[in-house]
Amino acid sequence: MLRITLGKIIKGAKVSPKYVYITTRALSGPAKPPENVEVFIDDKPVHVPPGTTVLQAAALVGVEIPRFCYHERLAVAGNCRMCLVEVEKSPKPVAACAMPVMKGWRIKTDSELTRKAREGVMEFLLVNHPLDCPICDQGGECDLQDQSMAFGSDRSRFTDIDFSGKRAVEDKDIGPLVKTIMTRCIHCTRCIRFASEVAGVDDLGTTGRGNDMQWGALTSKPYSFTARPWEIRKIDSIDVLDAVGSNIIVSTRTGEVMRIVPRVNEEINEEWLADKSRFAYDGLKRQRLVTPMIRDNNGELKPVDWEAAILTVAKVIKCAGPSIGVIAGGMADAEVLVAAKDLLNRLGSEALCTEHTFPLDGSGTDLRSSYLLNNKIVNAEEADLVLLIGTNPRLEAPLLNTRLRKGWVHNDLDPPKLAFREQWEALAGKEYKPRPVVASIGPEVDLRYPYENLGSNPDLIKQIITGSHTFSRKFKAAKRPLIIIGSEIFERPDGAAIFAAVQTLATKSSCTDENWKVLNVLHKVASQVSLYYRLIMGGLDTPGVDKIREGNLKVLLLIGADECSINKSDLPKDCFIIYQGKLFIFNAEFGKVPFSIFHKTIKHSFLGHHGDYGASIADAILPGAAYTEKQATYVNTEGRAQETLVAVSPPGRAREDWKIIRAISEVVGAKLPYDNLNEIRDRLDQVAPHLTKYGYAEDANYFKQAEQLAQSIQGNIDNCTPLDVKIKVLEDYFMTDAISRASPTMAKCVQAVLKQKQSKY
Amino acid sequence: MAQYFGLDKIAQFFKTVKQYGGLKASLYKLYRMDSLRPGTLVGTDKYGNKYYENPSMFYGRNRWIEYAPQYGLEYDGSQVPAEWFGWLHYKTDLTPDKDPSRPKYKWMADHTENLSGTSGQFMPYSTTRPKIEPWIPPKRC
Ligand code: SF4
Ligand code: FES
Repeated sequence: MLRITLGKIIKGAKVSPKYVYITTRALSGPAKPPENVEVFIDDKPVHVPPGTTVLQAAALVGVEIPRFCYHERLAVAGNCRMCLVEVEKSPKPVAACAMPVMKGWRIKTDSELTRKAREGVMEFLLVNHPLDCPICDQGGECDLQDQSMAFGSDRSRFTDIDFSGKRAVEDKDIGPLVKTIMTRCIHCTRCIRFASEVAGVDDLGTTGRGNDMQWGALTSKPYSFTARPWEIRKIDSIDVLDAVGSNIIVSTRTGEVMRIVPRVNEEINEEWLADKSRFAYDGLKRQRLVTPMIRDNNGELKPVDWEAAILTVAKVIKCAGPSIGVIAGGMADAEVLVAAKDLLNRLGSEALCTEHTFPLDGSGTDLRSSYLLNNKIVNAEEADLVLLIGTNPRLEAPLLNTRLRKGWVHNDLDPPKLAFREQWEALAGKEYKPRPVVASIGPEVDLRYPYENLGSNPDLIKQIITGSHTFSRKFKAAKRPLIIIGSEIFERPDGAAIFAAVQTLATKSSCTDENWKVLNVLHKVASQVSLYYRLIMGGLDTPGVDKIREGNLKVLLLIGADECSINKSDLPKDCFIIYQGKLFIFNAEFGKVPFSIFHKTIKHSFLGHHGDYGASIADAILPGAAYTEKQATYVNTEGRAQETLVAVSPPGRAREDWKIIRAISEVVGAKLPYDNLNEIRDRLDQVAPHLTKYGYAEDANYFKQAEQLAQSIQGNIDNCTPLDVKIKVLEDYFMTDAISRASPTMAKCVQAVLKQKQSKY
Repeated sequence: MAQYFGLDKIAQFFKTVKQYGGLKASLYKLYRMDSLRPGTLVGTDKYGNKYYENPSMFYGRNRWIEYAPQYGLEYDGSQVPAEWFGWLHYKTDLTPDKDPSRPKYKWMADHTENLSGTSGQFMPYSTTRPKIEPWIPPKRC
């Protein structure tokens, strides 16, 4: 808390350029540009705004000052002293990361004094550091290693050959994800600052360090001792376990995914990554479908080769004619969706559905503004008021939540005044009470920052519109309000009506900025947005499985749909009888249906029974590729198209999903006109041009029109059912899809959370 | 005189043919073993291989084996059992039955030929965990 208060004072006093930057962005008023000061870095002149630190000024002229504790995205700590540089006429070297430049300073980053200071610091750091890099997980990508090579002394004065002096610290167990190596810690406090500033979990600390407090060099526990940085191949890719679309690097060795680490993308994930996205990769290796399977006469699934599988499937599809339907799951890519849609249309069917419902009343999916996170993730941190409706961003889109949290940490309506007030409160011994700028309608959940829960009655939206709720005053006052509506709302029967009300609310804000989009939809799964594009193109489809339930389907293709949104009993009985249950599970990645059943059995301890049911639903299984195994397009919740790249090849006989559909189409006699990736990408381009503009999110517009259309919606909001979210607590977060459910690490996480809940501390 | 004109070779040829049991049998032997050599049978092992010697031929060519008929054309050096190996390769001049000092223990395994290329061959296999664990469809009960 003290740290935050200090941060705010710094911000108020406009010392750190980082804060200056943010403050000016937040105020967006015509702040008068401060005069630049001239400093000299190694005799190179550079003009920087006052408040720039020595380290940043040096970076501007391309001089890199070694550092350990400094991190651009975290508060300045200044405790490693590696960044010491000499400043002319200053008696002592100064810490470059924390010291703002003064006019006319001559900074020497390569002088005798600087070098001596660095060598000294390095020597101190290494006095208590083990000398066993060869067995260390960090070896090869270790800053300490590199910097001791570059800046350390060339000889050792370490004479303690009796091994009496090095620091030894009891190891800590901080869960199944992060491994602590206490003796290798150099006390940079980055982990602590990350945890308290970005993640909002004040679990790590510096006081009582040694044996009481958790604290140590942190490495990845599942990855420990499995691979070396110089023997892995790194492939840039996209995460698909939530709808944020974080950029990742997939590290592989010997055709196996060894780990996943984040890749910097300022617009999406900065350089962070959610736990599930980072650690669920071991689920890619378990419960995989490696060969096509067909149910034989005894009702058992038997492995067959591709030829047999495709011929059988095609025959059944041919017999079914237009009574064929497709349900797409959360991790289907844009290519397979367009292929499936084209195939369906050729067969005369329209029933391509998602597992998640979306209302078609009003503007439905015609206008992009009604299903995207219109304001972009990056702008979330600039909001001065956030209203969350039926969503739990911390667990549904953790990286959006860190943005919101960042906004909460850095922005207030009037930062200097607020900082002063907080400071005053702190001095007066009052409890620190940050101003809640985030409010939510929905169940009470833990977002890791204070927020105001208005309740969970949907009627609140109407109350805010009419002004009868106290919150509406705040809402009207806000210059940059943000409404984030969770996709689960749409699954309610009155979803359309609620959404219409929210659209109305969004137009009621006093936001004057043209580019600020008040209304935002937060999705939970990666495929949803690209599916909507598909829907625009087709025109007539229904998202959600209702259509499947109504329709007289004879063949059903499930593209990685594992949420059990359809039961066999939902389908017409005669379909079952005539075709002996020829339901096709086109299972993109895993033994999904049965697996989600396993998940259930864990929860309700209902063993056996459900498993049989799950197995009974698939009659043919066609193994597809997971997101690390194909070059595929995904559109994130902002409407930003991104592509994954092939890191490893699909296991066994599994193939890229769209190719399977293409192969079936040929045998059915409705050949799809694309044979390779470029050709199907051309088709994507035809369908929706922004689908192939990778990395770019096009702005959505027509809010007014959408709102007008929304007025035409019939039906009332059901005020008796409170708004709810499925993922409420941390243990629900880890296992939400086929990959993370198959992951042992994620299972351990759930256990760890439950265990911690039971422990009395 | 006969030696001078090489007539003894003719005599030897007939002798060899006779030893091999007629012209047809000799042609078969020639087809099977690429050579016809007169020699004295010194022993037979338990697989039916016959061992011959002809001291009048030069060293290195004067001991040979005629593989047992059941091998047909599929014979190879690994079918020579260990006890005859030594004699055949001039490690010893004593055939197994004439050599009393050969050790004989109960635990000595029977000779096996090299099975490479047959169905009985050794196939190396990995003992490491497979990289991908496939999904196994649950059985119906
Ligand atoms: S953390 Fe220490 S032991 Fe490990 S690689 Fe870096 S310098 Fe070596
Ligand atoms: S980087 Fe400046 S003190 Fe650590």
